Amino acid sequence: MRRTDRYRYPVIITLLVLLQFTVRSHLGGDRVAPDFLLLALLIYTIKAEPGKSAAAGFILGLLRDALTPASFGAGALAHTLVGFASSWAKAVFFAEHVFVKGCLFFAGTWIRNFLVLVISGRLQGSQVAWELLVWSPLQGLTTALVGIGVLWFFRGWLSPRRAGATV
Amino acid sequence: MAIGTDRYASRADTLLFIACVVLSIAALSLPDQWRDPLAQGLRQSVLAPFLFLQRQTELLAAARYRYDDVVAQRDSMALAATFLPELRNENARLRSLLGLGQRLGTGYVTAEILHQPEPTNPLSFVVSAGRREGVRPLSAVVSPEGLVGLVASVDEHTSVVLSWAHPEFRASAIATDGSVVGIAAPHGAEGPGVWLLELQGVLYRQQVPTGTVIVTSGLGGVFPRGIPIGTVIGPAGEEKGWGRTYLVRPKIHPAELSHVMILTAPPRAGADLRNAFTAPQDSSTLTGNPPP
Repeated sequence: MRRTDRYRYPVIITLLVLLQFTVRSHLGGDRVAPDFLLLALLIYTIKAEPGKSAAAGFILGLLRDALTPASFGAGALAHTLVGFASSWAKAVFFAEHVFVKGCLFFAGTWIRNFLVLVISGRLQGSQVAWELLVWSPLQGLTTALVGIGVLWFFRGWLSPRRAGATV
Repeated sequence: MAIGTDRYASRADTLLFIACVVLSIAALSLPDQWRDPLAQGLRQSVLAPFLFLQRQTELLAAARYRYDDVVAQRDSMALAATFLPELRNENARLRSLLGLGQRLGTGYVTAEILHQPEPTNPLSFVVSAGRREGVRPLSAVVSPEGLVGLVASVDEHTSVVLSWAHPEFRASAIATDGSVVGIAAPHGAEGPGVWLLELQGVLYRQQVPTGTVIVTSGLGGVFPRGIPIGTVIGPAGEEKGWGRTYLVRPKIHPAELSHVMILTAPPRAGADLRNAFTAPQDSSTLTGNPPP
C-alpha cells in the first residue's frame, strides 16, 4: 500500500460533500437529484467496518436532522441502520462488481427514505406511496448512476490492491 | 486497511452500532426545548461553512441567470435612451405593476430556500436569511402567490421555516369578504386531499361556496391580515359536531419555491396586506405572460 492511499477515500468523500452543497440544487428537482452525502456514506461503508459505518451514518444523519428539524432523530437512526447494513452486507456478500455497488447505492437511498418516512411518521397514506414508489426510486436511480460514475472515474483509487502490487 | 473478507461485524462493531441506535432514539424522543437548541448549535457550528457554501452557490447561480437579463436590459436601454419621455412613461407603468416587494414597502427580506433531499423537506426547510438580516422567530414567510409558512427558529445567517404543510402549522383565517372565519391547518393525510389545507371551525350554519379565497385574519398577532392562504374547493367529508371543515387548495406548494420573502416588521394593528397580493394576481405579471 502506498503512503498516499490513506488520503484517497477522504478526498473522494470531501468532493462528494462539496458537490452536495454546490451542485446538487442545480441538478433538477429536489426529490430526484442525487444525494451526494448518502453516496459518500455508502462509499465509506464499502471500506470501513460495520461499527464505524454505523457511527458515520449516525453523525451524518444527525447533521442532516439539524437541517430538516421536522424529522429530528429519524435521519440519524435511518443513516445508522443504512450505514451498518451496507457495510455488513458488503462484508458478507463481497462482490467487487460495479453493478452490485450500483444496486447497493440504489437500495441504500430507497431504504434511507423509507426509514425516514416510517420513523418520522410525518407523511401518511398516498404521500408515502408517492414518496416510496415514485420519488425515492428516482432519487435512488440518480444516486446510483452518480455513484457508478464516481467509482468508474476513481477506479484506480478505489480498486482493492494486492500486497506487493505496483500501480 | 484491507478490503477483505475478514470484516464481519465484531463485538465492538455491534456495540458501536447499538450505541448509535440508542443515541438516535434518544434524539428522536428529545423534547422541543432541547431539540431546537441542539439543531441550532449544529447549524451554527459544524454545518455553518456548508450552509455558507450553499448560500454562495445559490447567489452565484442567481447572478448567472440574471446576467442575460441585465445584458438584454442594457441593450434595450441603449435603444430606448433616444426615447426618454416614453421610457419614463413606461417606467411609471412598470412601477404600477411591480411585484409584491414594492407594494409591501419596507419590512421584509428576501431569502433563498436551501433545499434538502429528505422527503420531509416541504414541511420545514432552511432559508438563507437569519438574525443578521433582521429575521425573528414567528415572522411570516410569503411568496408573491401567498402564505408559505412561518419562521420557527433563527440562526445568524439562516432560519428554519415551518411551511403550511407542517402538521403543527395553524393560521387564523378569514374569507376575503369577511363572511367566514376559521383556522387554516394542513389536511395532510389521505387520498386526493394530499397537500391541501383545511379551514376548520367554521360555524355549522355557514356555507362556504367553492372558490372562496381565504386569507389570514390577523388575529393572534403572528400573521398580518390579508395574506392569501388558498381557495376553498369543497367540504372535507361529513360534518361533525357544531362546526364545518372545508378543503382549501393552497396558493403555493413549498417545493415549487426557490425564493421567499420574510416579513420582518411586526404586523401593525389594522394593517391589511390583501391589496399587496391581489393586484399581481389580477395582472399577468405573476403568470409569466407579458403585460398588455
